[in-house]
Amino acid sequence: MKEKVKIFLESDILEKYLIGDASKEESQQAERYIAMYPEVRETYDELQKNLETFAKMYAKNTPEGLKEIILSSAKKEKMVSKRFYRYAVAASVAVLVFAGSSLFFWNQNKNLQEENTLVSNKIKYLEDNMKDQLEDMRNQFIVLNNPATKKYEVKGKREGKELKAIAYINPVKKLSYINVSNVPQLPENKCFQMWAEVNGELVNLGVIKQFDDKGKLLALPYADNAVGYITIEPEGGNAAPSVDNIVANIAY
Amino acid sequence: MSTLIERHIVSLLAEKDDRAISLLYENYSETLYGVAFKVVKDEDLAQDVLQESFIKIWKKADSYDASKAKLFTWLFRITRNTAIDKLRSVNNKADKEVQIDVSNVYKVGVKGIVPDHIDIQDNLDKIDPKYRIVLEALFFDGMTQQEASEELDIPLGTIKSRLKIGLRELGKIYGTTMSLLLILNLLS
Repeated sequence: MKEKVKIFLESDILEKYLIGDASKEESQQAERYIAMYPEVRETYDELQKNLETFAKMYAKNTPEGLKEIILSSAKKEKMVSKRFYRYAVAASVAVLVFAGSSLFFWNQNKNLQEENTLVSNKIKYLEDNMKDQLEDMRNQFIVLNNPATKKYEVKGKREGKELKAIAYINPVKKLSYINVSNVPQLPENKCFQMWAEVNGELVNLGVIKQFDDKGKLLALPYADNAVGYITIEPEGGNAAPSVDNIVANIAY
Repeated sequence: MSTLIERHIVSLLAEKDDRAISLLYENYSETLYGVAFKVVKDEDLAQDVLQESFIKIWKKADSYDASKAKLFTWLFRITRNTAIDKLRSVNNKADKEVQIDVSNVYKVGVKGIVPDHIDIQDNLDKIDPKYRIVLEALFFDGMTQQEASEELDIPLGTIKSRLKIGLRELGKIYGTTMSLLLILNLLS
């Protein structure tokens, strides 16, 4: 142990540490030795005392006015640090405002994105819908104009006596439409429902709304030798046609 | 310099009290100015160094640890390092620019020479120059022992021993000065 102290004291680490020339490691070592070994502490204190004595020998009169300059610049420095503190507060506030507005904009952006998705979905839906309608219109046009189209007048029977409809069937283009021109008044809890028998299966074509569907061409699923039916069903429509209530049929 | 004033200054520094700077200046400025001048060897530069050092001292006031160093040691380290940095930056600039002749005319302090310092100047002469050169090279010129050995053309071992003896001589002088002052005080 003592040998270590001797080696340390013989090196110039303590002197370097004294005048502020020691590296970080050397400073740590010096501080450790000073704290641990009284003889090192003693030497260090002696060195400090000697340094002061030695430095004092070189004391030099300071020029007049320097004190005032130094005092005022120190005061300014204090002000600067105060100002810095103020700037720091201002900067923190700015950061908070920025963070707040960022969050706000981020939220807004998210909302806009969601809205954008919604709108573009809607547009796509409308586009598809329009395409369908256009296609439908085109088919209607084809059906109505094509010379191969056959026109069937549908007349109702029984309760549906007054039911008048015209079916347009085009076997070449495999298109069929029906135009319900008159729908008789039915009791409130009854409605007309259209069906088509396609390849032996009955397909629900939906309820004929008394006013909305008047004079409108409604597409029928096409099949060779298909049969269309109109039945009277309870209000809201039925899952399967009531065969007894068939008021009209269209063979096409 | 009594330790009482030292402690007072230290406590003022810790509180960032303006009076600390004033007291520091009154008690240490001449020694620190001397240190700065010894390093930069130019009065204007030394004044800049002193000013910068005081600002640093003021800024670092709360980092001073009395258990690690005496107040003067701390002040000395800051001033010396500031002076060495100043010298380096000036030399760097001088290397780049056309060398301008540095005026050798020094300003004489207005206050004149303080008698205390004459005594110390005398003391300075008491130290054998061979020790003084080594002490100056190490303390003021920012040389490492190795550099001092090369610069002064003295073997490293000799540098080491002269540093130790030089410092011991200082202790002796310090001791005699103190006893002299004591005797003078007793006589008066």
